Amino acid sequence: MDVLIQLVLNGILLGSMYAIISVGLTLIFGIVRVVNFAHGEFLMVGMYAAYLLAAKFGLHPYAAAVPIVILLFAIGAAVQRFLIQPLLGAEEHIQIFATVGLSTALVNLALLVFGADLYSIPPSAAQGSVMVGGFSLVKGQLVMFVCALALVAGLHLFMQSTALGRAIRATAQNRNAALLMGVKVDQIYVIAFGIGAGCVGLAAALVMPLYPVTPTIGTYFVLTAFVVVVLGGMRSMYGAFFGAMIIGLVDSLSGYYIAPDLKEVVYFALFLAILIFKPTGLFGLGRGTE
Amino acid sequence: MSLQDSSPASTAGKSSPAASGGPSLLARLANPRVYCALLALSLLVIIPAWSGSTFVIHVFVTICVFGALATAWNILGGYAGQLSLGHTVFYGIGGYTAALLLDSFGLSPWIGMIGGAALAALVSVGIGYPCFRLRGPFFSLATIAFLEVVRLLAIHFNGLTGGSAGLVVPLQIGWPWMIFREKINYLYIAFGLLLLSLAVSYAIRNSRLGYALTAVRERDSAAQAAGININGVKLWAIAISAALTATVGTFHAMYMTFLEPATLFSLATAIEIAMFALIGGLGTVAGPLLGTVLVVPLAELARGWLGASANGLHGFVYGTVLVVITLTLPGGLVGTFGPFVTRLIDRLPGGGRTRPETVAPAAKLVGGTVGEPVLKATNLVKRFGGLVATDNVSLTLKRGEILGVIGPNGAGKTTVFAQLSGFLAPNAGTVELLGQDGKWHQPKTPDAFARLGIGRTFQIVQPFGKLTVLENIMIGAFLRHRSVDDARAVALRVARTVGLYELKDVEAGTLPIGGLKRLEVARTLATEPTILLLDEVMAGQSQSDTLKMVELVRAIRDSGVSVIAIEHNMQAIMSLSDRIVVIDSGKVIAEGAPETVVRERRVIEAYLGEDFVHAQGL
Repeated sequence: MDVLIQLVLNGILLGSMYAIISVGLTLIFGIVRVVNFAHGEFLMVGMYAAYLLAAKFGLHPYAAAVPIVILLFAIGAAVQRFLIQPLLGAEEHIQIFATVGLSTALVNLALLVFGADLYSIPPSAAQGSVMVGGFSLVKGQLVMFVCALALVAGLHLFMQSTALGRAIRATAQNRNAALLMGVKVDQIYVIAFGIGAGCVGLAAALVMPLYPVTPTIGTYFVLTAFVVVVLGGMRSMYGAFFGAMIIGLVDSLSGYYIAPDLKEVVYFALFLAILIFKPTGLFGLGRGTE
Repeated sequence: MSLQDSSPASTAGKSSPAASGGPSLLARLANPRVYCALLALSLLVIIPAWSGSTFVIHVFVTICVFGALATAWNILGGYAGQLSLGHTVFYGIGGYTAALLLDSFGLSPWIGMIGGAALAALVSVGIGYPCFRLRGPFFSLATIAFLEVVRLLAIHFNGLTGGSAGLVVPLQIGWPWMIFREKINYLYIAFGLLLLSLAVSYAIRNSRLGYALTAVRERDSAAQAAGININGVKLWAIAISAALTATVGTFHAMYMTFLEPATLFSLATAIEIAMFALIGGLGTVAGPLLGTVLVVPLAELARGWLGASANGLHGFVYGTVLVVITLTLPGGLVGTFGPFVTRLIDRLPGGGRTRPETVAPAAKLVGGTVGEPVLKATNLVKRFGGLVATDNVSLTLKRGEILGVIGPNGAGKTTVFAQLSGFLAPNAGTVELLGQDGKWHQPKTPDAFARLGIGRTFQIVQPFGKLTVLENIMIGAFLRHRSVDDARAVALRVARTVGLYELKDVEAGTLPIGGLKRLEVARTLATEPTILLLDEVMAGQSQSDTLKMVELVRAIRDSGVSVIAIEHNMQAIMSLSDRIVVIDSGKVIAEGAPETVVRERRVIEAYLGEDFVHAQGL
């Protein structure tokens, strides 16, 4: 029983990491209606930034979160402005190829600059664990859990109670109607993409103390993030949050009860099953295949 | 105006790719498009053979392999528009099947190649069947997920595959074992596989299947109305594409003599394959190879010269080129420059010939007795949430009659049409059709309705925008004619009938609304329906065009076809119809001869309101 509770706790904490990454992906898909295949590479860029700030200036990634979020916001906004926006009227496959191309270019740029080696920052307190009621929890993961809750709550407040948030929601629901109401839709898209990328910046800063960075780390995380987004119904931030928790649990439990190297098989199978049989997501919050 | 007007025009302007049953082999070789293509292809063997360098041979083997892979991918990704980003599943299946058959049973990889292709085709159908309902990026994501699952399983079951440690192919040298000391032999096989892929791709492009795939990619509703089984044709595309991919995979595994899940089921390679096709031009025959020829040498040369220090350079170049292409040349190289180059080539000796128009096979006369019922809709009910859009509607269509359906906006006329053509399944009630066999049928899918002789037009026009007017009509004609020549001839005849002949080579997307409405009718007529459902085809037509359309519909009826027409143009529908059904709020409120129906109080109420009825003292 204790093992099970420990696994569930681990799963929830792991899920909070996926939540932060997936919320950004969901925002971009829900608002701009573009599937960002380069999302994982944004994470990778953020992690290299965190690594460099730590290695050159001795800045702890948690302290570096602010500049990294700003950097990622800028990258996201630029990608929307100069890559996605010119292609919004283009056929869907062109949009897919554009972000796939960006992803390939970024992975290989990192390979060129940093090589295939693992880079990690010096060990810090984040890797230590605390005992709570007889269960061991990794401190860095606890921080992520708190941040994930704060992020979703913060975004909720922003979307519901600011003028910009309302404009973003209006644009997401009906682009043309928003346009007719005087919303500068193109600007909204740039901001939304920036926010989505900014979320990944936060994730990068929080992940860095726990995982080493490699050029392909983005691919590893983003495939999971896609699973989460589909589970959550594609458009819903809240769906993505709970989807992430489920994937965290699946990861933790199947890693223990089935086989560590098959846990991804389990959630990819779950992903395919959801896509095929319940495209509105587990909670029916979205409309996946429309 | 007669439907049998089939005099071949003397000026067949359009030059089109050769199709089956065409000119002799020698005559085809004299066509500059053919000899230029063959000359260019032969350079892929001549250059490395002449250079003799192992490195150059390796680069050209790689070009042939990836050219063949991209060409095979294009059958699904380009023709059918289903962007698979997990195609290395099939490549890996080809490699592992042959290697394991060789390793365990000593079977020649040539046999393994066939086994791998068959297995890949089977697996592809298993992937395609559930995933084809997914749209755009979600299909791509699903293919990535399948690839990941297969890769992880290949690593997990290491007893079978050797797992991450890999599997070394037993080194037996010679043609039966596909392993050679002389590297040039590899090139011959790779080149042969490239030719095979190109030949299959070319044959599909110029076949009924190719047109059907393009139609499905452009607009699946119109494709269904033309009788295309949209899932069926997509499954053919993925199976053929997968089998070819696996064939190449077998060869490549033998060439590398080492198999590991990370390379054989690589996501990066799957993306590269798709990338080459896009760079060259999606949906074209030559594009995927051209894209490969352009970018693979760059990468291989960088790797050859700079060694490991250039790790990542080739991927960076690929990614950047891809982004630039999406922003500047979304049609790819062939899509953008193809027509220009083709014109240049046609100026060479033997070029610019136009194919003679073949005589269309005679349109089948519709048999049966005039006046017998051919379509029976019984107690149709269709609900959308709380709204009852069709409320217990029954109607019968008799052979050779024109039945007009009128009613105010939002009355539910189009919803009834959708049920009569299989696009919506009623919540209750049945639609029965009298087949050619004299029996009554209850088809389920739109394509089954079309095959039984229902032809429908769409109120909101559904052209295949990227195809020419003639090709649009051909999509319809393929329902009853397998050969491209016959379909073209039938399409030309229909184009003349509806007055689109002068516009036959125009891209359909550029037609004005009147032309598009006529194109709807033309595509439907080309399916040679026995029952024609016309949804507001007069709307947007000029006065004179409306008169022509009325005449046309009469001529169609006189050829034995039964017609149901929804129309708002009262004058036209009243003069045209033998019988009128009035629908309001989802119910049939009146039925009968045109002149009696318009005097009915309920009809006037429905159109003009009760107040008007009172004011007129009716």
